[in-house]
Amino acid sequence: MSDPLEALRLPDIPIDPRPEFAAALLRRIETTPAPAAARAATVRYFVSDLDAAVDFYCALLGFEEELRPSPVFAMLYRGDLRLLLSVPGVNHALPDGTLPEPGGWNRMSLPVTDLAASVAELRQQGVRFRTEVVTSVGVMQILLDDPSGNLVELFEPLEGYHERRRSTP
Amino acid sequence: MVAIYRDALPQVYGYLLLRCGSVAVAEDLTAETFLAAVAATERAEPPDVNVAWLVGVARHKLVDHWRRIGREQRTLAAVESADDRVDDPWDEHMDVAAVHAALADLPVPQRIALSMRYLDGLPVAAVAERLGRSLHATETLLVRARSALRRAYREGDDRDV
Repeated sequence: MSDPLEALRLPDIPIDPRPEFAAALLRRIETTPAPAAARAATVRYFVSDLDAAVDFYCALLGFEEELRPSPVFAMLYRGDLRLLLSVPGVNHALPDGTLPEPGGWNRMSLPVTDLAASVAELRQQGVRFRTEVVTSVGVMQILLDDPSGNLVELFEPLEGYHERRRSTP
Repeated sequence: MVAIYRDALPQVYGYLLLRCGSVAVAEDLTAETFLAAVAATERAEPPDVNVAWLVGVARHKLVDHWRRIGREQRTLAAVESADDRVDDPWDEHMDVAAVHAALADLPVPQRIALSMRYLDGLPVAAVAERLGRSLHATETLLVRARSALRRAYREGDDRDV
């Protein structure tokens, strides 16, 4: 015997809401910020040769290519660090036309578990180091150059090392 | 999210509007559904957000909405819940719209169970899972709910005469 209440079944009828509501909700979706803990910290490096930079960071330093939508821009990830690689162009120029250049002394600092082993491996791959391994407060570290001459710091935590614990969402 | 918004919006809004019968409530719950989906896509293991998933979220939002209303009407619900008589003969020609309207007069747990079971067409086991109740408890709830719906439907008839 069929159940008379089966007649209550509502069909799946798409109904368009008011256009103003649809537009307002779309704006909210597009502008809703993600929870802070879910966002990767982002660093941008200027490079002179994008292909060489992507190969270097992915093959040697544990990054993964996320996007390479143009010949002058790539987005890489290493854990929760996002690295943007840009070839300097007019949209980076200062009002007087000055373009940014790779190089300088500021750097990102990447943790490794065995610094000596990482350095030996990278030397074998032909990576240029600017310094030898230095023991500092709480860490051992070394500086290396990427193919465009940007600095990268590798470090291994030692006893007494401190880092704020990440909040989890 | 933006990519499926245009396709999913009428589905989610249609689902909610047919069940709550109020543009204002349907808009609020539609917004809550999509904003919940945005938050979900930021989780470490994001779900596959598609229309079926969004309608599932909308169903939760509707249930939450009814429970909120239910808390405001707790006294009334308590009185009605006390009435456990089983009375379930349905007319062959029942007025479906009037039965839908009568649902709004039921205690909230009964309204939720009947809506999932009959308006959405979910099997009893799926209703039980979503309510967090045992199969047996859900069957009992549905029997009482049908009976209460029958009485509310009849009283609605009386009011119309």
